[in-house]
Amino acid sequence: MKIVIAGAGSVGTYMAGELGGIGHEIVLLDNDTSVENRARAIGNAVFVLGDACDVDVLAAAGAADADVVAAVTGDDEDNLVVSLLAKQEFGVPRVVARVNNPKNEWMFNEMWGVDVSVSTPHLLTALVEEAVTEGSLVSLLSFEHGKAGLCVVTLAPDSPAVGKEISELSLPREATVVGIVRDAHIVVPTGDTVLQVRDEVLVLSRSEAEADIRAALIRP
Amino acid sequence: MGIFRRDKTAGQITARPVGTEQIGSIGARRFVRVAGEVSRIRTKPARGIPSLCVQVSDGTGTVVALWTGRRAIGGVVLGRSILLEGVASDSPDGLTFMNPSYELL
Repeated sequence: MKIVIAGAGSVGTYMAGELGGIGHEIVLLDNDTSVENRARAIGNAVFVLGDACDVDVLAAAGAADADVVAAVTGDDEDNLVVSLLAKQEFGVPRVVARVNNPKNEWMFNEMWGVDVSVSTPHLLTALVEEAVTEGSLVSLLSFEHGKAGLCVVTLAPDSPAVGKEISELSLPREATVVGIVRDAHIVVPTGDTVLQVRDEVLVLSRSEAEADIRAALIRP
Repeated sequence: MGIFRRDKTAGQITARPVGTEQIGSIGARRFVRVAGEVSRIRTKPARGIPSLCVQVSDGTGTVVALWTGRRAIGGVVLGRSILLEGVASDSPDGLTFMNPSYELL
C-alpha cells in the first residue's frame, strides 16, 4: 500500500519505520527542517520537506494515488486541513487523523474528510476503564462512521448474565458476542457457553443496541 | 431548463455539455467534469455541523455532491441542471464529490 504520513514527529516517524518495515510504500511529510535528518534516516520511507496543508505539496508527495493519508501532526488544525484536502482534492480512500486535544474530537469526522480518528487520551481512558471496571460497558472501537462498535463488559457478580448460556441472553439481533476473555484464556463463544463472574464479554454490535446490551449483561 | 438534448421517444440523453463525461463511466480519484440533474437533496446535521448532500443523475448513473458547513445553496433545487467538477471518492453513499466546483446550468 502507498501511505502518505503528514507529520514527522515522534508518531509519524514511528509509523513510517513500522509500516515501511513491513513493505508499504511510505512518504513522510514535514515542514520542519530540524526533523529532516531523523526522518531521512528512516529506511523504506521517502521524506518530503513541505507544508502538508498545501495542495501542491500533497500532490508532490503522491496523494493522488495514495491508499491512505495519515494526518498525525501535533496540531489538530493542520490534521483537519490535511484530511480535508486528502479527501476533497485527491479522493484518498482512507484518511486517518490524530486528535491531539480531545475537545476537538467532535470535528474529526466525514465533514472534514476523516474516516478514522484516533485520540490517544480517549483510547487510554477506555483501556483504563476496561481494566479496572467491573459491571460497566466500555467502548473499545467504533466502525462504519460510528454506526457499529466493539465493546467489552466485565461481568459483575450481580450481572443477570452470570450462570446463563449465551443463547439465553436477551441480546438484540444486531449484537453478537465475539469473544470471552476468562482468566487470561480466550473462550470462543457458542450458544451454550455459560457465562461466569469476571468474564470479559466482547460484543460487536450496531451502536443503537448499546442499551439492550447493558440490560442483558449489566442491569436488567 | 434542460442542458441535455434528449431522444424524443425514450427521453435518453443524446448530447451533453462540452467537456463532461457520463456519470456511469467515471471513477474515483480522477479529476472529472460531469453534468446532470439534481435528483435528491438531503441536509445532514452531523454532530452540530450541517451539510448539504445532493444527488445528481444524468441517466447513466448518479453521484453525490457533499457541501459541508451549509444547509442550502441558492439555486440548487430538485430538477435543476448542474455541472460538477472535481475529484470524487468512494463512500458509503456512492461516488462522492466533497465541496466540488459547480455551475448551475
